[in-house]
This record gives sequence, structure tokens and C-alpha cells, in this order.
Amino acid sequence: MDIKFDSIDGNSTAYRLAMASLAVAALAGLGATWYVIEKGLWVTGMTNRVPWGLQIVMAVYYIGLSAGSLVISGLYGVFGKQEYKPFARIAVYVAMLFLIAGLLSILTDQGRMDRVFVEPFVYFNLQSMFSINPILYIGHILICVVYLWALFTERRRLTRVVATTAFGWAFCVHSGTGAIFGFGARVLYESPLLPASFVAAAMASGTALMILVIVGLFRVTKRHVDDRLVLWLGRFLAVCILVVVYFLMVENAYRAYVVELREAAMYYLFGGFHSVLFWGGLMLIGCFIPMFILFYRRTGKKIRWVVIASCLVILGVLCERYVIVLPGLTHPAELFPGLTITESVIEEGIASYSISFLEVLQALGVLGIIGFLFGWGLKYLKLLPDEARYFRPSA
Amino acid sequence: MKVAGGTVLAGSSCAYAVRFLIASGAHGAGVDDISARKWGMVVDLSQCPADCTACLDACREENNVAYHGDPRYDIHWIRKVRLEDESGTEGMGKSVVLLCNHCENPPCAQVCPVQATYKRDDGIVIVDHHRCIGCRYCMIACPYNARQFNFKDNEDWPNKDHPRRSHGVAEACNLCAHRLDEGLLPACVEACRNAGAGALTVGDMNDPDSDISRLIAGSAVKRLKEDLGTEPKVFYIGL
Repeated sequence: MDIKFDSIDGNSTAYRLAMASLAVAALAGLGATWYVIEKGLWVTGMTNRVPWGLQIVMAVYYIGLSAGSLVISGLYGVFGKQEYKPFARIAVYVAMLFLIAGLLSILTDQGRMDRVFVEPFVYFNLQSMFSINPILYIGHILICVVYLWALFTERRRLTRVVATTAFGWAFCVHSGTGAIFGFGARVLYESPLLPASFVAAAMASGTALMILVIVGLFRVTKRHVDDRLVLWLGRFLAVCILVVVYFLMVENAYRAYVVELREAAMYYLFGGFHSVLFWGGLMLIGCFIPMFILFYRRTGKKIRWVVIASCLVILGVLCERYVIVLPGLTHPAELFPGLTITESVIEEGIASYSISFLEVLQALGVLGIIGFLFGWGLKYLKLLPDEARYFRPSA
Repeated sequence: MKVAGGTVLAGSSCAYAVRFLIASGAHGAGVDDISARKWGMVVDLSQCPADCTACLDACREENNVAYHGDPRYDIHWIRKVRLEDESGTEGMGKSVVLLCNHCENPPCAQVCPVQATYKRDDGIVIVDHHRCIGCRYCMIACPYNARQFNFKDNEDWPNKDHPRRSHGVAEACNLCAHRLDEGLLPACVEACRNAGAGALTVGDMNDPDSDISRLIAGSAVKRLKEDLGTEPKVFYIGL
């Protein structure tokens, strides 16, 4: 099957307006980051009790969103579904951008950004998930570069090899990201299930993003895409959500069942703002409504509804990332069982965290940067096929 | 060692200098002693007056520990909490001194992506401020809330022999390693003794005749969260 790939003209007013908006967002983010570097991280919402905030939430969220390439690579490169080849270039490019977004978010969250480019490589610590993960991320970006090159130059054998490598590597990337938290010693972090559930949520959000990118881009650039290709991704998305819900149920049922974890489980499920995000944002908006849409025959077979479900999943997984990171920090470690701390010079008990405007600007800035690179790529790289047809490969 | 390490000690942690010298093969008598020791601390709560802050003040002054007047960002290498029995029984309240436990298996050192946090050969867990990238993963990993982060620059600089704390790096009690290396007691222990309390005892746990070894052997001591397997080296009497 010969597919013709092309770039877009990029001369329309809409394109220029979009690029200008993204550049403004990027500049706002850079400005906010400069201010944080100058003043110190206290200008964010973080404190000594809650030392990670929105930037870490966004970092793991962005990295999860890169999993769309995992799905397309798997379909096309590993399972040989040739009809998904038209999406391979754009999927890999988007994955690369979101991995860069993840790294940028982590970078701008460091207390000493100036040391990040040397020390982690010179004093690499094989025992630290924070050492292992950047290697996985950078490795994945490099694989994406080779993958893109193989796709652009139509090297079929190399493409297959790199697609398979990228598929396996992406599993390590998302498992490793989950392990940053799952292998932690905090009551609401520690869970061997977390790396696996992280992969499931990443695949859900990544697939949802690919659906939006494919439908949006093909519609805006007036290209034909066979509905069946998108609908199949929709069904796959539904299965991913089901797996996410299963993992969440097991994890929370375990915490609620084990006596020493019960108090933490109750805090997680009913303890404040994060609980609203868990039930309202993650479970209702991110899981139950999209599952209903995708499994219900009337809506699951309509592109418009699949797109709505994808939007909801993307929002839901953002909430999921928040409830992975924050409640584990705001929930206190119990140092003295049976005793209560009544006087202290630090925040004891449940700690507070509120997202600051600067953190929002930083997050938007990262989105602005990768959005700008995405627009640039559409104009200067041949990422989009002239059409995407559904076909059954001959036996 | 004293000559070679002098300049490094002035600007950096002395522990790192010692480690560097060991790696360089410059073994001196003091260096050999370091690996033979295992520093630990005993806190006797019965000897700790509730309203006394001598150890806290001495630590802050000795180590230029940042105080901004905001509990969200203040640094406390050592702090005191008041505990009450959950049953509400009167007279069961206790004042407890909390600090880095200098764990034998420190999770903070395990997770540090640049090995800025490490355990010295004598068991002291220390942060190299010149290498820390400020990722704060050590704070996430520490089960004792003993680690803090310099969110702001510290304006105060009472002890000019040691560097002023700059923002962007994590830190915790280093058991006044620089003083121990010179044969002095940690500032908190010295201040506690000068205040006439004697609640804090620091010593070599490898020496069976040391005060600390005798206290541990002869008293009902407890450590915090022993079930985690971190093997804290701060022991409490009367907890």
C-alpha cells in the first residue's frame, strides 16, 4: 500500500493565529519559570509538607499522553495492522513532543535547574527511579527520532524493528513513571499495582489524544479518514478505561480492607478536594461516562460521540494524575501510633496545597512550546497522509 | 588531611572531603577511625524539659538553618513536638525531639538521583549541597518528615565558618559531622548539656563501652517506625 504523505500549507489566518497564541503561552510559561528561578520555589503552591505540586502532576500526565504512539506502534509495527500506518508519523511525532513536555516540566520543577544537565549523568544512581526514568524518557525520544527517520525514508524493515523496540520501551517508560510513586514509602503511594495501572491510564489518555489528533487534523485539513479506523480506536479506548477502573477498584479495596491502611483509604476517597477529583473528575467524567458512550451501541458508533468520550478521558486522566501525586503528600505519615501531635513548629496532620497561578502559567507554557513545535512540524514535515483507508490485509 | 581538606571544608561539607580523600588514597589516622565508628543518638524524654529550646537554638545558629517565620518554609534540622495520648489521659503528654534518624538503610540516599545524599562510613547521612539538584525526591522517600527544602534564600548567617543556606536544595540534620570530626559534640548535644538537661547523648555505637551503647543496652529504647527496616540510629527512652 503506497501512501502519500504531505505537509500543510500553513498560510491560513487560523494557522498563524494558533501559532501566535501558542508562542504567547510559551513566553508566559518561560516568564513564570524565570520568576520562579529568581525568587525560589516558595512562590509556587508547594511547601515543605507538600514538596511536589502541579509541575510533577503535569509531567506524569504529559508522559502518559505520549502513549498514543505506543498504541499505534503496537497496531502497525507489532501486530501488522497496515491500515494504521497512515497515523504512524503523526503518532510518533506527538509522542516525542509529549515526552519533551514531560522532561520540560520536570526540569522547571528542580530547585537547581543549572545542575540538571551534568550531575544526574555524572553521579547516576541505579537505585533511584528518578535516575532511571530520565534515561527511559531520553531513550524514548531518541527512539522516536530514529522511528521518524525510518518512516520518512520508508525503510520498512527498520521501521518494524524500531516500532517493536518503541512498543517495548514505552511500556518501560510508563511503568517506570508509575514506579516513582508506587515504589515510594508513603501510605498512599506504595503499591506494586501502580506501574501497571499507570500504563493502562497512559494508554487510555494516549489513545484518546490520538483520536482527537486524527479526527481534528483530518477534518481541518479536509483529508479523508475511514470512520472504522477511529471507531476501532474508540473500542480500544473503552477497554483501556475498563482496565483503569479495575486497577483503581483493586487498589482502593485493598486499602479499605487492610486495617492499618483504612484511615488513609478514607482520606483518599472522601477527604477533600482530591476526592472530588477522584469521584467527579476521574471516575464519573473520565471513566463511567466515556465507557457508557463507547459501549452503548448508538453512541459508540458515531465519531462525534467517540470524540466527546476522548475529551472526557483526557480530562479524567489529568484528574487521575493529580490524585496519584497530591493526596499521598498531604496525608501525614504516622510517626507515633496511638499518640496525637498537639504542638509543633511545622504543619502537622493533613497538609494543604493549592495550585498557584505561576504553576498554571508554567504548565500552559510547556503546552505552548510543544503546541508550537506541533504546528511547526505540520508545516515543515510530511506528517499527514493524503487519506487513511480501512482495509483488510490479504491473507 | 587537615591541610588538604581545609579549603574544601570551608565551602562544602567536610564529609564529602573525607570521602574524596579516602577515594584518593590519602588515608590518615582520622579517616581510618571514621569507618570504624557508627554514630548514633539517644534521646531521653524524661530529661527533656518541655519548654527548653536550647538544642533547637544551638542547631540553628551552628548550621545557619533557615528561619523565615513561616511554618510552611522554615527549616528545622531538629524540632520538638508535643504528644498527647489519644485516650486523653492526663499526664501522658510528652515532649519529643525529632531529627534525621541517620538510618542504616536510608531511603533518602537510595532515591537521590545524583547521590548528593549519602551515608558516610561512620553512619551519618549527609547532603552535599553543591551537588543536590533540588528534585525533593528524598523528602518524598523519608518516612520521618526529617528532610526539608530551602524554598527561599536565608537572610541570616550567624555562623560565618559555614556557608549560608541558599535556596533550591534539600537538607537535614548532619549530626554536626564537622564537629564530630574535630572531636567535638554536636551543637544540640552540647547545648543540652550546658542547659543542665542531659537529654541528648551522641556516641559511637560500635564501642561497647561508650555511653550510648550502655544506654541502649540498659534501657527500654524505641526507634521510630522500626517496621520499615530503615534501622534508625536515633533511639528514644521513655517514648
